[in-house]
Amino acid sequence: MNTVLEVRDLCKTYIVNKRQNNVLRNVNFSVNEGEMIGVMGPSGSGKSTLLYTVSGMDKMTAGEVFFCGKNMSALHENELARMRLEDMGFIFQQMYMMKNLSVLDNIILPAVKSSKKKVSNRIIEQRGRELMKRLGIAEIAGNDINEVSGGQLQRACICRSMINDPKIIFADEPTGSLNRTSSEEVMKELAKLNANGTTIMIVTHDVKVAAKCTRVLFIVDGNIKGEYNIDSEKNMRDRERCLNNWLMEMGW
Amino acid sequence: MVLRIIGKDLKRKKTMNIILLLFVILSAMFTASSVNNIVAIEGGLDRYFEEAGMADYYILSHKSNSKDSVEELLQNSENAKSYRKDDVIYTTEDNFKRSGKKLMEYSNISMVQSLSNSNFNFFDQNNNAVKNVEPGKMYITGAIPNRSNLQVGDKFTLSIGEINREFEFAGVLKDALLGSEMMGNPRMLVSDEDFKKIASDDYVKQYNSGSIYYIETDNLSALQSQIADAENVYLMIDTDTVKLSYFMNTIVAMIILILSIGLIIVSFVVLRFTIGFTIAEEFREIGVMKAIGLKNNSIRLLYLAKYFFIALAGAVIGYFLSIPFGIMLIKSVSENMVLESRNSVMLGILCCIAVVAVILFFSWNCTGKIKKLSPIDAVRSGQTGERFHKKSILRLGKTRLKSTAFLAINDVFSKPKQFSIITAILTICTVFVMVLSVTVNTLGSEKMLKLLGITKSDVYFIDSKRITDVISGAKNVNETKQEISDILAENNMPASVYVEEWYNLSVTANDVKYKVTFVWCKDTKLTDYTYTKGVAPKYENEVALSEMLAEKMNVNIGDTLIINVDGEDKKIIVTALFQSIMQTGTVGRLCPAFEIPNQLMTGAVAYQINFDDNPDEKIISERVEKLKDIFDNKNIYDTRRFIHAITGVTDTIKSVRDLVLPISLIVIILIAILMERSFISKEKSEIALMKAIGLKNGSIMAQHTGRFLISVILAQAIAAGLCVPLLMLLIDPIFSTMGATAGIEYQFNVLEQFVVYPFIITATVVISTFLTAIHIRKIQASDTANIE
Repeated sequence: MNTVLEVRDLCKTYIVNKRQNNVLRNVNFSVNEGEMIGVMGPSGSGKSTLLYTVSGMDKMTAGEVFFCGKNMSALHENELARMRLEDMGFIFQQMYMMKNLSVLDNIILPAVKSSKKKVSNRIIEQRGRELMKRLGIAEIAGNDINEVSGGQLQRACICRSMINDPKIIFADEPTGSLNRTSSEEVMKELAKLNANGTTIMIVTHDVKVAAKCTRVLFIVDGNIKGEYNIDSEKNMRDRERCLNNWLMEMGW
Repeated sequence: MVLRIIGKDLKRKKTMNIILLLFVILSAMFTASSVNNIVAIEGGLDRYFEEAGMADYYILSHKSNSKDSVEELLQNSENAKSYRKDDVIYTTEDNFKRSGKKLMEYSNISMVQSLSNSNFNFFDQNNNAVKNVEPGKMYITGAIPNRSNLQVGDKFTLSIGEINREFEFAGVLKDALLGSEMMGNPRMLVSDEDFKKIASDDYVKQYNSGSIYYIETDNLSALQSQIADAENVYLMIDTDTVKLSYFMNTIVAMIILILSIGLIIVSFVVLRFTIGFTIAEEFREIGVMKAIGLKNNSIRLLYLAKYFFIALAGAVIGYFLSIPFGIMLIKSVSENMVLESRNSVMLGILCCIAVVAVILFFSWNCTGKIKKLSPIDAVRSGQTGERFHKKSILRLGKTRLKSTAFLAINDVFSKPKQFSIITAILTICTVFVMVLSVTVNTLGSEKMLKLLGITKSDVYFIDSKRITDVISGAKNVNETKQEISDILAENNMPASVYVEEWYNLSVTANDVKYKVTFVWCKDTKLTDYTYTKGVAPKYENEVALSEMLAEKMNVNIGDTLIINVDGEDKKIIVTALFQSIMQTGTVGRLCPAFEIPNQLMTGAVAYQINFDDNPDEKIISERVEKLKDIFDNKNIYDTRRFIHAITGVTDTIKSVRDLVLPISLIVIILIAILMERSFISKEKSEIALMKAIGLKNGSIMAQHTGRFLISVILAQAIAAGLCVPLLMLLIDPIFSTMGATAGIEYQFNVLEQFVVYPFIITATVVISTFLTAIHIRKIQASDTANIE
């Protein structure tokens, strides 16, 4: 199985008021193609920073991150932007979208900007509509973003993350702002995506969400304290129970 | 508590608060300086005249055999309440030499007088009253010293009669009576000692001595009637006509006035927009405050207190900046007159208080929405979620545009209010530059010839020597024309030469006597002139009058005037009216068939030359240069340069251009920078999101620049459409007061007004926005995590 992401001795330090704050300390892990990896840990442990650093959204202080074999620390800002546009997808907790664009235009914007596939805007729009239909939000294509519910908007964000067929999707607490029903719907969609071969790295506090992953990293004070492989043969309730037990062992 | 919240807010939203502060500073600066200047300009000429000691009527007379007929008439006139008299010595440009060459180039008669003998107040370039002139020094009025590149300290010789006296140029003098460009009679101030020495020369006593009378009267027309028969008079003029001679300064003053009003409008529009914009940013916090139970008025007062602090700080800084800015604005108008930016402390403070009050009003108005919103609506940034109109109008999937262009256009259409304000501001700046540019072009164009009442010819030769010879009777006008014609023929430039002669004649209309300057030329065709009403005078007993003269004399087409020519009264009928700014709008034109003795001629503008071989402009320019050598006279011009020379428009063009374009560009730059910076601040989360999904810095910067580009292009189009109506609205009345009562045909330079200036403005906006948009680089894709 190919390695999509390989992280070696990753460090991230913030300097706030002349004080050094080591958010990530020598983090090492890798993500294989088709995996759905969860990142858990207490608040302030560095989960989101890890996600943003390995995705090239934030600069690392030291270490190396290889994405599909390419050393990201050696890439120019524009090359990183291109990588994010064409090979990565992002889902944020806040379901943030461009206010002046309709839901559909928000979804297709990365594809229109991309030079990966030379297709017309009409075809891109068609693909956007197909994705929306798949995620059950076809009826809100022409709506403004403040005319739809949070669950619908988060599914629209998933559509946006998928529009360029990325090699990996990074999700930062994608269900954090959603109610239980919406949360389950969104996770169902992500699980479907993963089942179809898309690699997903997801930061979450929610055991139910993490239980849907293939592997979970537990991070404390910027270090990966443990790694737990989820048995896909077990049913969801058993998965959640086992994961919970492991997390309690880790000090969760 | 309130202070703590405000303190935190000022720190946390530093960028937006600084931007708001800068706008307040601009508004206070523009308002205080502009209002001060408006007050200075409005009635400024009257104040200058008062400080100079102007009277109601003025006569420049020449003594004949040491006798002055004017004084006798004044002494016996019950209409002359009082009068003051300055003794002067009349000179011409030929009397002043430096290293054997003419010191200055001017066509009219000049006069030398002493300061101590004068009953008039003069001012130096710093607007201080001139109290003393040292022996051996000389002040000179008007723009002629500047045009002749005369520097303070330059030495030159005055040669007249037996006198050969060296003088040092002491500086340019502001002279309310004779200092305007159109008056064109330089006055020289010397010490009493020097004046007595020159005046004691027998030749000077015989031929060059004269007087200037400053007459106070309660009945101007009666006085004019009484002294209409005075002899040896160079000039009779009333204060209103002198005022008109400042028309170039008036035009510039009006331009400053319009500029000032424009700046005030722009600054308040920007301020209103920025306050609305910053308060909209606060809705989330307002919602939280409402949710925890704060009353609407408490919340509004909190914001009012914040804006009050910013307004106060900005107003104080703006007031101090307004002083140098106001002086800079007014400087170009006050070259020939004392027109100071008053910098009244009280007025400045009142303006700044007004700015603070306006800001508080805007803030109160903008926070009004707080009352209508429920806490949760406010948390949703003022959106109720019940909007039925679409924010996004265009569809990305259906466009052929590049995505960056699409995003820029979509932003403009999605935020119409925001971008229409930017477009409006840019339109004001553009239309202002366009209107002034057309005005300036018109002032320097051949179209001014019609207003001057002069026919077009290939070359204009202002030969004060020959004209003076004709006036003094030493030569006949036909002889001088023949002389010039012969010289031209000898130099292989055969041409016809003519001159439009001026005659000051007494005219009686409605039983009131006037002294009127008539233009007469037997060599021009009647069709060469344009008339606004009636038909050109055809027969000996017909005359055309300028509209202003007809109004002054209360006559119209068909009315009969009695004109006195050499003691003989002749009846003439008014057949036509025309526009003229010559003789400050009051002039008549006699029919070529009218019989008039040549020795009565009192002046002429120039000898006009039309070459027989109809040369093109390039050849005319070359010939003009040759003629300058042949006649050893620099006052030979082609049409355009002639207009510049006699109206002094070149200096005006320069001062107006130096003033308006840079100020407009500075305003545009400031607005583009501050607006874009506030957009970046407001759209930080969107920028972070775009970066997170993979858009490059360059693409986002191009989108931001594109939005301003669309606004500026729209502004150019609107400005082009508004240009002509605004010319008619703003500039027509200015020309009308100068004599162009029937409006003026504007001279457009399409390349300059509709290509070059719009391009400069567009480039300025694009470059300013793009350079400001570089700040986008500082926003990280990871800032998406911090989206509120």
